[in-house]
Amino acid sequence: MHNNISFTDAIQQATLQAMEVDPTVFVMGLGVSYANGADGTTKGLKQKFPDRILDTPVSEAAVTGAGVGAAISGMRPIIHHGRVEFALFAIDQIVTQAAKWNYMFGGGNPVPIIFRIAVGRQWGNGPQHTQALYSLFGSVPGLKVVVPSSPASAKGLLAAALKDVNPVVYLEPRWLYGTRENVAEAPYTQDLGSAVTVREGTDLTVVTYGDGLVEALRAERFLRERRISMEIIDLVSLQPIDHAAVLRSVKKTGRLITFDTTNSSFCVGSEIIAKCCQQGLGFFKASPISIACPDVPCPTSTVLSAAFYPTKVDLIRQVYVALGLQEVVAESLSFDYLHLSPKFDFSKNE
Amino acid sequence: MLLIRHLEQQLVDYYLKNKIMSFVHFYVGQEAVAAGICDNLRPDDKVFGNHRSHGHYLAKGGDPLALVSELLGKANGCCHGKGGSMHMIDKSVRFMGSTPILGSVAPIATGSAFASKLLGKDDVTVGFFGDGASEEGIVSESINFAALNKLPLLLVIENNLYSVISKLGDRRSPKHSTKKIVTGLGATYLQADGNNYADVHHHANKAVSLARQGSPVVLECIVYRHMAHSAPIFDDKACYREVDTFEERVKQCPISRLRETIEEKAIMTTAELDALESATIERCKQTIIDASVSPFPQTSELLTDVYAQ
Repeated sequence: MHNNISFTDAIQQATLQAMEVDPTVFVMGLGVSYANGADGTTKGLKQKFPDRILDTPVSEAAVTGAGVGAAISGMRPIIHHGRVEFALFAIDQIVTQAAKWNYMFGGGNPVPIIFRIAVGRQWGNGPQHTQALYSLFGSVPGLKVVVPSSPASAKGLLAAALKDVNPVVYLEPRWLYGTRENVAEAPYTQDLGSAVTVREGTDLTVVTYGDGLVEALRAERFLRERRISMEIIDLVSLQPIDHAAVLRSVKKTGRLITFDTTNSSFCVGSEIIAKCCQQGLGFFKASPISIACPDVPCPTSTVLSAAFYPTKVDLIRQVYVALGLQEVVAESLSFDYLHLSPKFDFSKNE
Repeated sequence: MLLIRHLEQQLVDYYLKNKIMSFVHFYVGQEAVAAGICDNLRPDDKVFGNHRSHGHYLAKGGDPLALVSELLGKANGCCHGKGGSMHMIDKSVRFMGSTPILGSVAPIATGSAFASKLLGKDDVTVGFFGDGASEEGIVSESINFAALNKLPLLLVIENNLYSVISKLGDRRSPKHSTKKIVTGLGATYLQADGNNYADVHHHANKAVSLARQGSPVVLECIVYRHMAHSAPIFDDKACYREVDTFEERVKQCPISRLRETIEEKAIMTTAELDALESATIERCKQTIIDASVSPFPQTSELLTDVYAQ
């Protein structure tokens, strides 16, 4: 049975289903015990599991470290950080402790912990509440880093992370919290390390992840009506990256565009293009293109933030460039489209 | 204590004669702290350490050969050569790991105690770190977390007067009070003479008992670090020491003091103590020989164990 649920419902459902069968799972973080806990992602769980849904002192470093200590002692914690900026208080525990623990002690020392970290754009949040530090976490071996891109992947990836024995950084694009999808009610998992081909196509490959997928799907629909066949790959995992999936696609299409919703320098697209060129330069019929935010902090003014984030229009324009077409894209986007988080329904193929 | 002292002292020569590429922080002089605390622990109690943890590891019962082999980068080291001196672990004796980033072990030990509480166990977790680490904010955060959740936790601050060679007076206001910080956060503060085994043992007994009842304790042990911060040498020439001069350290040596007590109370004779010390030295020499002839890991090991299976 499938229900049409939101991204935050999906996180709540995966958490609930794991807690019902695994008594070692607990959730710790600021506000997780509130009625609409953590933006709805822990809604109603405090009543069901009063001892395992734990509000905490405002001490991100110690709370995260206590999670690491509990994880190596038989528990399976989910540590929640409502903004990535707060998780940075705890970066030693994530990057230097959890990520290294198994390797530095010579194996046999698993750290089964999930760092749920909200990232990215949200209206009016400005430079210090919207960072999307994908490459920071993605560059750390020892962490598994995933970015759900829809309600179905949010549920499947969290469920898979809750069965893994390694530290998983689960980066939640807040922009997607209101998106919806028909999601299986029964528990299921989605493979943590594999990219997903969301749309099959032949003219070019678009590689994206997280909240980039909504824009890619919107562009794909626009172009499909104009007989351009776009293949969309959702990376899903940033550590490790499924380079083989990208390479297979580029071998087929000969053209590559990467779409990031974070700063251009050191963005995931740069890594994709670099590896793809090293391993498959002969496949390219056109220069690869990276679309990303400019290398400035995210501003607050709507006039500025509209110019900061790339949209489906930017992607469509670059598709024409990649294909050597001289089309003019006249489409203008509404204020709501640019500034309010999308109510996109992945099941409706909008 | 003799094992801790002589294993490191034998390693000094080995280090100076050979190219040993594992950064070390020797524990010489601080042995009474590790021994006095761990002698109060049950086998199922857990210990976490820091960068200077050879002593903590051995006092909890860690295997000396696995320690030395780890320093020499050998396959039979406690981390199979991937950790080195700053990463001691022997889970068979519940020495759960040591990590050198200052203060990092405080929340991890706190989380270990938290897990024990959640799982309904009655073991105690001990975390060792120094006076420098105690200045990290995460330590105060961890004490608050432990007090809030009534955790079976003992944090031991080994105050050896220096962070590398930075004096307490260069790092803290004259009005600074660790006791006030700890008690202000809702935990119990105890202090012991870290150069005196009997005093550490006495306070640790009380501390472990309180911790086991879910009342977290910080036990600060004032102690002398006999050697340099991170080299197997004596560094009096650097002239930073004020109270802990060479003469004072000899006078306060925890092993000499414990020997005197044992002789005074006629627990063992001088001859028996000498024999024990000689046997310990021989054991340490043999351990180093055994480690030195142990095999190195295969180069392919570089790529293993990034993730647990």
